[in-house]
Amino acid sequence: MKWTALLFLPLLLHGQTAPKPANQYLGSEVCKTCHADVWLNFHRNPHYKSIASGKEEPAKTGCEGCHGPGGDHVAARGGRATIGAFSNFTAGQTLEACLGCHSKDLSKANIRRSPHTEADVVCTDCHSIHKAATPKFLLAKVQKDLCYSCHASERAQFEMPSKHRVNEGVVQCADCHNPHGSSATTSRMGGSSAMLQPAFDNEEPCLKCHVDKRGPFVFEHPSVRVEGCQACHVPHGSMNAKLLRRPVVFTMCLECHNGAGTFGRENIGVFQTPSTHNLLDPKYQHCTLCHVRIHGSNSDPTFLR
Amino acid sequence: MRIRSGFALLLVPALAWGQDTVAPTTGESTIPVRGENTGDYNVVQSWELGYRFATVGGDDGKYRSDVNYGDGIRLLSSYLTVNSRDGRGRWFDEITLTTQGLGNDPYESATFRIQKNRWYRYDLLWRSNDYFNPGLTVADGEHLEDTTYRWQDHDLTLFPQNWFRIRAGYSRTTQDGPALTTEQEFDPQGDVFPIFRDTREEYNEYRLAADIVLKTFRLSVLHRWEYFKDDTTDNLTATEQGSPADPSVLTGFNRAQPYRGRAPGWLVNLAGARKWIAMNGRFTYAGGRGDFIQNESALGTDRFGNAQNVQAIVTGNGERPVISGDLNFTLFPASKLSVTNNTSVSNTRMIGNNSYEQFNNATFTSQTLNFQFLGLLLINNSTDVRYRFSKKLDVFAGFRYSDRQIRSTEAAAVPSFAFRGITAEQSNQLDAGVAGVTWMPINDLLVHLETEIGRNDHPFAPISLGNYNVIRSRVRYRKKNYTLSGGYLENYNNNSILITAYSSHSRTYTGSASWNAKSWLSVDASYSKLHLDTIGGLAFFAGSVVGGSPALVTNQESLYISNIHAGNLGLRFPVTARADLYVGYNITKDTGDGRASLAQQATPVGQLLYNVQTFPLTYQTPLIRLSVKLTAKLRYNLGYQYYGYHEDFGLLDVNQSYRAHTGYTSLLWSF
Repeated sequence: MKWTALLFLPLLLHGQTAPKPANQYLGSEVCKTCHADVWLNFHRNPHYKSIASGKEEPAKTGCEGCHGPGGDHVAARGGRATIGAFSNFTAGQTLEACLGCHSKDLSKANIRRSPHTEADVVCTDCHSIHKAATPKFLLAKVQKDLCYSCHASERAQFEMPSKHRVNEGVVQCADCHNPHGSSATTSRMGGSSAMLQPAFDNEEPCLKCHVDKRGPFVFEHPSVRVEGCQACHVPHGSMNAKLLRRPVVFTMCLECHNGAGTFGRENIGVFQTPSTHNLLDPKYQHCTLCHVRIHGSNSDPTFLR
Repeated sequence: MRIRSGFALLLVPALAWGQDTVAPTTGESTIPVRGENTGDYNVVQSWELGYRFATVGGDDGKYRSDVNYGDGIRLLSSYLTVNSRDGRGRWFDEITLTTQGLGNDPYESATFRIQKNRWYRYDLLWRSNDYFNPGLTVADGEHLEDTTYRWQDHDLTLFPQNWFRIRAGYSRTTQDGPALTTEQEFDPQGDVFPIFRDTREEYNEYRLAADIVLKTFRLSVLHRWEYFKDDTTDNLTATEQGSPADPSVLTGFNRAQPYRGRAPGWLVNLAGARKWIAMNGRFTYAGGRGDFIQNESALGTDRFGNAQNVQAIVTGNGERPVISGDLNFTLFPASKLSVTNNTSVSNTRMIGNNSYEQFNNATFTSQTLNFQFLGLLLINNSTDVRYRFSKKLDVFAGFRYSDRQIRSTEAAAVPSFAFRGITAEQSNQLDAGVAGVTWMPINDLLVHLETEIGRNDHPFAPISLGNYNVIRSRVRYRKKNYTLSGGYLENYNNNSILITAYSSHSRTYTGSASWNAKSWLSVDASYSKLHLDTIGGLAFFAGSVVGGSPALVTNQESLYISNIHAGNLGLRFPVTARADLYVGYNITKDTGDGRASLAQQATPVGQLLYNVQTFPLTYQTPLIRLSVKLTAKLRYNLGYQYYGYHEDFGLLDVNQSYRAHTGYTSLLWSF
């Protein structure tokens, strides 16, 4: 009886649905049949190097390196549902797809914990792989316009009279910020700006260009070192000269130098101006007229020379 | 070939449209182009040569500080790419060159890249900024800089696609040019004289690094050598009388102050990721040191009418070793949950000493030995937890902890006096909590709300973060052709203490819209309102001299109110089949506290503070740009931009208003 039952086994197997064949890698040559517009320019795309090498495995080269195997897509004669279309990806899927190759860059070491990633702003929100606006980095727009598209208040700051020259093209947002997430800012306490790209030794990024303000000086202005440049300056743009937080300098200095409380490095308040400084005398209304080395001095503890 | 040329022309309007300031920029194309094939390479290039003009009325110094465009012939922009067609070029596979403003524009830049797949990649970024700043409100009009900043960065990567990469780099920054500074002579209450400064600063950095990638881990090691030198000199060019109220006269002054700095450093970074964890650790060390000597001499007559010949010689050095490290973990214990922890430690020690020697009228009068130490030890720790309920809703919360120890020693030794030294130590602790939610109530609509509350037990300065809270919110509705967004940011900091009070309250509202109807028609608009009001307690001396010094004033406050409205509008559209137009308008208006003029106050001190509580002004920059296709490869461009800067009332009797008409005319040749 048992043996006769075996006679029905082929019949049972035949009755089952045949297993679906795995989605196949077909190679990029197939893609250009329908996507000729993409393919004709692809040799100028940085990703073309994966094809040019000719040594990469199918999952890491050409169209299928990013979009996955195209077998089903071809069999279905197209359709977004049958291929890895980034427009269908979640933010996390997009991130992982790109980091498959790009995670080896030092600049992206903190990408998984960056504020952009946490806000679901991922690679394809800023980069356009097939319709890039810039020859480098495949940005979807010129960098400043890309950042302005979300950061409208920063745009307003860069259109103020005193500003870093971002709109003029000589300074870029990425000079100070790392949009992929920066290392922890260790130059000041919590509450610091997001994604500031510190200088090499963890100083504020301002000092990457303003190297003369760096020192080390014999007499450091403690507020510069302890609280940072933003104690006195607004980095993006200001209505006031020299990116200052106040239109005149004496109010800004006196807000700290009032001798009150337990502020300052000696816990006895930031010392107030001496009695010789009559504030009604115009000379004393322009503090940096005499304290010319306000960022730090090698010869004078009050920054006079 | 005709077809290819036709495609290349698609680049041209894109280049024109990519410009939203009258300063042309290049290298932008939203339309795929094919260029022309030359042998095994494909070439795309364009060159825009033109004449720029500017006429300025009002305060020319302020215009040069804010805008600084002048007259002359410029290579306004250029763009060149050469790509191998099969990715297997003999010596290179890609060359990219872009330039902007060459030929004496105040803002010039060039980028260059050459690479051969798998073998090497070299990048160059060169920039120049003609920097002019009169510093009128800062230094009574007696400070001025007409210097040029130049930056260049070179980066070479060998085997860029390999598991083992070598990187080498060189960066150079220079600043040089004339400047005007001030010098106070011949005692701490003496007069202030303008002094000519010849600025010469130079910074060089050399980098060598290696990256090793093993499976999902990457190790980077970088060594850096940094050198800085400053050979700025200060000299008096003519006898200076000083202010009429002070009889001091400066007949001669020169100062040499060469400074040599160096900072070798290391960076080690290890990063890796698995399905359930991503980690990143970093260690850096930089040993900064600077050696200097200063030789200064001043000749003249002091405020008492005595002849003075003062020479000061200062020698010494400063050191600043910095060690820092941070370690980050992101755990993914479940598909919807992530936990991120960051710990960072930084130790900075600043040590400086000098010897100050002074000779008055050829007689040695004093020597001071100074020693300064400032040490900062900072420990930060933050933990964030994020839970994604669904694709459309996730919440997060976090806690930040900072502990900072500040130690300082100030010591001086003066002959015949006992050694004086002050050592102080303090610690600041900041605790902050954050929480937020990101929600998509309907498709394409994103709502983000976040708040942060922080407490600092010992703020370092009255303006430091004390008790603060922050609210951030953002709404965005994005479709394929248009985006609408709005945001609100509020930041309130209260650092009040018994004697004085400091509080700062800022609120920022933003709204923006962009519409890309067609590839040739787009509209961008945004509006921001940035409101800031701060108040701080003051203590200073002012008024008529009683008993040898003016009276101490403690009942006044520093009040500052800024109320900025900023609008931006940009419109790109074709006016004929051959002509494209871009019209833009930017306006930034600070209405201050609403006052129309400066009212008379009861006391001189009250008047002085009242005059600087607000600074209403308007800055507007309308622009228009026309681009006309002349032939298949040639376009004519015309741009105009108006800069209007108007202060409602000046500061401390200085008004810097100006208006400027700038523009350019150019030919753009693409082939």
